[in-house]
Amino acid sequence: MERGSGACLQIMDPDVIPLYKAVNECKIGSESSQTDNKTRLDGNDHAFANLFDFGPKFIRMRLTDGVRELQTVIRDKATPRNDFIFYADRLIRLVVEEGLNKLPYRKCDVVTPTGQVYEGLRYEKGNCGVSIVRSGEAMEQGLRDCCRSIRIGKILIQSDDDTHDARVVYANLPKDINQRKVLLMYPIMCTGNTVAKALEILEMNNVKEENIILLNLFCTPQSANQLVTKFPGMTILTTEVHPVAPSHFGQKYFGTD
Amino acid sequence: MTDSVFDFKAQPRANSASDSGGSEDGGEGDSDQVTPLTVCTDLPNNMSPNPPRTPKSPKIATSLKKRHRAPGSHKPEGTRVLHTHGRRTLYTAGRPPWYNKEGQLKNAFVIGLCGGSASGKTTVARKIIEYLDVPWVSLVSMDSFYKVLNEEQHKRAEANEYDFDHPDAFDFDLVISTLKRLKEGKSVNVPIYNFATHSREKQMKTIYGANVIIFEGIMAFANPELLKVMDMKVFVDTDSDICLARRLRRDIAERGRDPQGVLKQYMKFVKPSFEHYIEPYMQSADIIVPKGGENDVAVNLIVLHVHNQLQARGFKLRNKQAQASHNGQPMPDTLHILEKTPQVNGMHSFIRDKNTSRDEFIFYSKRLMRLLFEHALSMLPFRETVVETPQGIFYDGRRTSVKRIVGVSILRAGETMEQALCEVCKDVSIGKILIQTNMDTGEPELHYIRLPKDIKDQYIFLLDATVATGAAAMMAIRVLLDHDVPEEKIFLCSLLMAESGVQTVAYAFPKVKIVTTAVDKDVNDKFHILPGIGNFGDRYFGTDFAE
Repeated sequence: MERGSGACLQIMDPDVIPLYKAVNECKIGSESSQTDNKTRLDGNDHAFANLFDFGPKFIRMRLTDGVRELQTVIRDKATPRNDFIFYADRLIRLVVEEGLNKLPYRKCDVVTPTGQVYEGLRYEKGNCGVSIVRSGEAMEQGLRDCCRSIRIGKILIQSDDDTHDARVVYANLPKDINQRKVLLMYPIMCTGNTVAKALEILEMNNVKEENIILLNLFCTPQSANQLVTKFPGMTILTTEVHPVAPSHFGQKYFGTD
Repeated sequence: MTDSVFDFKAQPRANSASDSGGSEDGGEGDSDQVTPLTVCTDLPNNMSPNPPRTPKSPKIATSLKKRHRAPGSHKPEGTRVLHTHGRRTLYTAGRPPWYNKEGQLKNAFVIGLCGGSASGKTTVARKIIEYLDVPWVSLVSMDSFYKVLNEEQHKRAEANEYDFDHPDAFDFDLVISTLKRLKEGKSVNVPIYNFATHSREKQMKTIYGANVIIFEGIMAFANPELLKVMDMKVFVDTDSDICLARRLRRDIAERGRDPQGVLKQYMKFVKPSFEHYIEPYMQSADIIVPKGGENDVAVNLIVLHVHNQLQARGFKLRNKQAQASHNGQPMPDTLHILEKTPQVNGMHSFIRDKNTSRDEFIFYSKRLMRLLFEHALSMLPFRETVVETPQGIFYDGRRTSVKRIVGVSILRAGETMEQALCEVCKDVSIGKILIQTNMDTGEPELHYIRLPKDIKDQYIFLLDATVATGAAAMMAIRVLLDHDVPEEKIFLCSLLMAESGVQTVAYAFPKVKIVTTAVDKDVNDKFHILPGIGNFGDRYFGTDFAE
């Protein structure tokens, strides 16, 4: 388990930007003009979320009550840390399971112990995961729990405190990554700059956009917009599009708040 | 031996009444034993017509064509043995279905046993149990239902001045409600009466419905409503001189009381009471047994009658269930199948493939189970809630209003799902039910049950890896209902089900939610699902190497 390994590097979560900025930048979507300091927004307001059409490659997970509960617990300030990790891991697992559906497979019939034929399928080999340090590492275990021996690369990106420009500090990827499908893991997106930077690295390694699936938990409309515009070939999977992202995720998950 | 489910010989468990599970922890849901349960309070003081030293359970089987163990018994006993059938080893002598194929309860056969004090009621009851030779006989003694005495009455009792031989000394309302529930096959809590303090103990003894219930007591016939509950009324008539002689010997020799006190009580209460409240009710009896327990002819007649009654009720449940034609009927609304995504299909391909290694079989079935439980959890009731976030905004979310969930696994295959449930559900309590198929009759039999307390207020996830005919699931649901769990709070969670099983369960229990990852078409004559998955438990636990 990689949990906490990033903490010793003392890096900032690069995608974290001040709240007022996030809200202001997202005013485009919020029809209801809230002037209160404490804005009240419903992240699962479909009318709101549907204002944005991010195209067919942008997939929102089906919102069951169960998923909404997981989101609520993660959002709640009062959630104790062990609950937070438990519920976050559950949500991550669901996103990973959903993401694996996007990988290629072929038909494959099998014979059951009763001697009958079951029309099944088999997944192709040649996939890998790439996590963006540090919060992306929180999702590695979820992927491991589904694909036991999958290769996982890492990219560390830091952002400049003033300009929010993202800068690559470290990247270590499987050598044949250009022949693989890539599950890119990053749970929270505010601006989308970090993921955009990571995609540049992947493209430098000759990974095609079409072979990338981004696994994400929470994102802002702004970040979604940036990514689908810049990388139209990439598949994005998320559970929620909301003007305010739960930017405390990495801190609380790794216990560095 | 093959035609009747009642042919099993249970093994003896002497004094089972006083040392079985319930009395340690008390409360309901503690009945972990599914052996024939009996009740008899240990009477430290006077007034006991029956010293509880006799074996109340069905007597030993002399024929060991079938061999038995007492499931859930705390004591290792020499007779706990196995029944081997082909390559499989099974435990038998469990409880056969006590409901019909619609899941509705069959009434138990209630025998009322009345007679004067020390007339030999207990001996007759014991002989009936012994000769009946069926599992699931409960003996309920009226002594458990004495009223709680206040201080003044208590003092009078100490001085042999309180009349225990009067109908008013008994709590008839409680007797009637208890017997009615027992007759319906539901679980009951019988008070344990303390004769030293003349009050009820905090703990209750849990009895679970039986095929035959024997209710005995001096005032057993004194209430007309009580009489209606009984299917057969037996009066034990013994000469009053003999009764007195026995009583004297018992109270003096075994309970260390002085002859004066015994005689005083006899003259003042026991004798008049017999004449007023017991003897007149002899006319209500169907059978009068003279000479009490020595009368083998009478006992044999009673047993013959009960056997005929039981035979008339028993039938081959599972075959009926398997054959029950639900063909062409649409799947019920209560069925919720996990969406067949490529991943779900891929995992099914692994676990259904007969060549899959056990390592992969376990890995992929666990992944599938986790998705199953996430799906089931999202079907609980939810409510809107607003939470404050660290970002300073309020967030409109949802939380489930269910505080506690209890997982109840049907052994053995159901146990494989416990871990996955624990992974998605914090602080879940786990109960267990062992149901096995009797290889001779093909009927499911209940062998062991251990449920958390207060189960009736919780949501229940009933776990079984596969559901073919639905016989085991149905029995498990029946057990839960008998413990007062509302039907709509039961979720039957299963990896794979057959259509017939879904229909059977849904037809019998239309409010039970059925959650599964796939539904197959057929069931073969060995009750395996087709194309199916094989024997899930064997593949998971690795006990199929002989194949």
